[in-house]
Amino acid sequence: MIYQTGALGEDGIHLDMNHLKSGEVNLGTSIMAINFRDGVILGADSRTTTGAYIANRVTDKLTQVHDTIWCCRSGSAADTQAVADIVQYHLGMYGITNDEAPTTQTAAALFQELCYENKDMLSAGIIIAGWDHRHGGQVYSIPLGGSLHKQAYAIGGSGSTYIYGYCDANWKEDMSEADGIKFVKGALQEAIKWDGSSGGVIRMVVLTKSGAVRHLYLPDRNYEGPGTEKP
Amino acid sequence: MTSIGTGYDLSNSVFSPDGRNFQVEYAVKAVENGGTAIGIRCKDGVVLALEKLVTSRLLKKDANKRIATVDRNIGVVHSGLLPDGRHFVSRARDEAQSWRGTYKAPIPVSSLANRMGSYVQAFTLYSSVRPFGITAIVGGWDAETDVDVDGAVGSGPKVGAGGKTKGVKEGGPYLYMIEPSGLYWGYYGAATGKGRQAAKAELEKLKLDPKDGECISLEEGVKEAARIIYVAHEDSKDKDFELEMTWISAVNGPTKGRHEEVPKALKEEAERLAKAALEGEDEDEEKMEK
Amino acid sequence: MPGFDFSNHNRNIALHAKGVPLPKATSTGTTIVGALYDGGVVIAADTRATSGPIVADKNCEKLHYISPQIWCAGAGTAADTEFTTAIISSNLELHSLSTGRKPRVVTVMTMLKQHLFRYQGHIGAYLVVAGCDPTGAHLFTVHAHGSTDKLPYVTMGSGSLAAMSVFETQWKPNLSRDDAVKLCADAIEAGIWNDLGSGSNVDVCVITPEKTTLLRNFKTPNTREKKQRDYKFKRGTTAVLNEKVITKEQISKYVTVHDIGDGKAGVGEKMDVDTQPSAPS
Repeated sequence: MIYQTGALGEDGIHLDMNHLKSGEVNLGTSIMAINFRDGVILGADSRTTTGAYIANRVTDKLTQVHDTIWCCRSGSAADTQAVADIVQYHLGMYGITNDEAPTTQTAAALFQELCYENKDMLSAGIIIAGWDHRHGGQVYSIPLGGSLHKQAYAIGGSGSTYIYGYCDANWKEDMSEADGIKFVKGALQEAIKWDGSSGGVIRMVVLTKSGAVRHLYLPDRNYEGPGTEKP
Repeated sequence: MTSIGTGYDLSNSVFSPDGRNFQVEYAVKAVENGGTAIGIRCKDGVVLALEKLVTSRLLKKDANKRIATVDRNIGVVHSGLLPDGRHFVSRARDEAQSWRGTYKAPIPVSSLANRMGSYVQAFTLYSSVRPFGITAIVGGWDAETDVDVDGAVGSGPKVGAGGKTKGVKEGGPYLYMIEPSGLYWGYYGAATGKGRQAAKAELEKLKLDPKDGECISLEEGVKEAARIIYVAHEDSKDKDFELEMTWISAVNGPTKGRHEEVPKALKEEAERLAKAALEGEDEDEEKMEK
Repeated sequence: MPGFDFSNHNRNIALHAKGVPLPKATSTGTTIVGALYDGGVVIAADTRATSGPIVADKNCEKLHYISPQIWCAGAGTAADTEFTTAIISSNLELHSLSTGRKPRVVTVMTMLKQHLFRYQGHIGAYLVVAGCDPTGAHLFTVHAHGSTDKLPYVTMGSGSLAAMSVFETQWKPNLSRDDAVKLCADAIEAGIWNDLGSGSNVDVCVITPEKTTLLRNFKTPNTREKKQRDYKFKRGTTAVLNEKVITKEQISKYVTVHDIGDGKAGVGEKMDVDTQPSAPS
């Protein structure tokens, strides 16, 4: 006799990786990260939902796991927070025991190990972006199954489906910081516009050799500011 | 040793009143009887060499290799109790694999030395174990090119990563020596075993410190290593020995970043030069006598 | 027979196949809120506990002690919020003793999220964590699956929508203490009136770096009025038709009668009468 579990899809064969337990907090999300001339830029909307209710309209989905290694989280809030916390711990330990800051590769490897080995229990789609002395800026994407992809730019979350065309048409390699911010903001604005599960403010983090700089763009100012200033 | 018979040398976990651990010191004695082992850190690679004393005529020549590969880019040579060395190498391989397992990248030589140092040190703490009867020389090349995560797909932007720091040199040749106490240092040139004093004297004459200008090349290093092993060998005490030599170069060098045996032709050439140098020395001495 | 007995499992499968639903744990339909203000933080809760459609307790306590300066408001399964906050409170005190420092709110939040994540949502505790520590005043929400949020004002429970509508229309930065307390109480009241799962009174807890003030039943908008009429009948309303006296000796044929005390009045018959007026319910 076959018992259908909650994680199985309607055909009873394929795993429904998006399955959320009832009451679980979901990051119906638009996230992205890009390479640019001096490093990387991460961007995200700020909407967190439980069913139809917005549990947090100013969520911070850009999470620091080391000085200049950050990630964008999509999927279950609980799962991605737990994974990011574990990676943050390991990278901290790496920095201390090896007397050398971890590279973005190290972070990507740790994220992948956790996401792949626990794929049955997690719904997490994570984009890792970081800057280090040795490799400069790098962007990695780990989608639901736990595979690892090194990319020029990466988009993720439910809202990303609406912006594949926008990104493909507007992407340029080796952009300036201003152009990079414009690209990320433009893409996320479209994602927020078309995806009901995405919304709120646009948050960004710019990672270069001079460290991490946060940006904030508010919908009531048509996403024009306040940028790096405090609102 | 003055304190023999006082009882402080019977157990690992007991200090003598003047703060010594005799078991560790006895382990060092075991090393001092082993064949000479050396490592040289050159400009473009690392050479490991070993004076393998032939204990029986029944042993096949050039068989029973003693310098071990721990990871693709790291080699270990050791002097002292052979089985202890094998255990050390086995653990080093485990450490290298475990590192690959978590970080999906090769272990840096410094981190391997650190972990093995900790491992060896743990054997000086407990009364149920004895310290390692070896001193190990760990040599390797940390990739200077970008190494991507094992199993990752894709290669990032076509123009390459943005924001790279210009002029930052990563990776390169590394050499460490780990003693029975667990103590380890990084070296330009390292020697242990019977002929270590003579070997060290020779190593000090080589240009190995980058601060003194251009270091010797890997090929020069191979020849020097062979010569030093021949110099350190004491004909009067040990009749026969075999020279075992391995090297590691950069990815664009002769070994393509791997730890390998020195090719037969180069090794024979190095041995010929080593013998010639020794004979030259003898001639000099003879001349002086005249 | 040695080993595990799986017969109940088979029974449960059979029951489930027949359409028998799983038993449900007591759940508190609840309104809980919290808000930061200049110089501290306020949390508040309603006091209704429900078991399905039944109001199980009209004046329960949903504000849980964690440490003197850190308190939790709990929604979800009543037993889970109670025991989860108790175990974290216990561990936190040991942690504080071993580090020799005052406990921090982030520490509580982290312990709670790691505990709840380990149980994958099976512990149905939805919490608002608030407190003051040497790093300042802090406010978090923790969901049963282990996710956390940090916000200046928060609501949780079935009445969270009603309460949030109050915050979203009336909250402003840099509130005073009294304004913050009033705002939180109003938010809870919105839950009490507009959410079926919430009701009865408002509990409030104000935490400043100096002290914590628990305002139990800060508002009691549902006190029971004295009934205008009652159904008590006067003595003698019912006529005595006949009378029969049964003596102790007669009964002892059937049961053992045992006198306690002096025989005048059995000790067991004495009852302590609560002279205090009962809590408003």
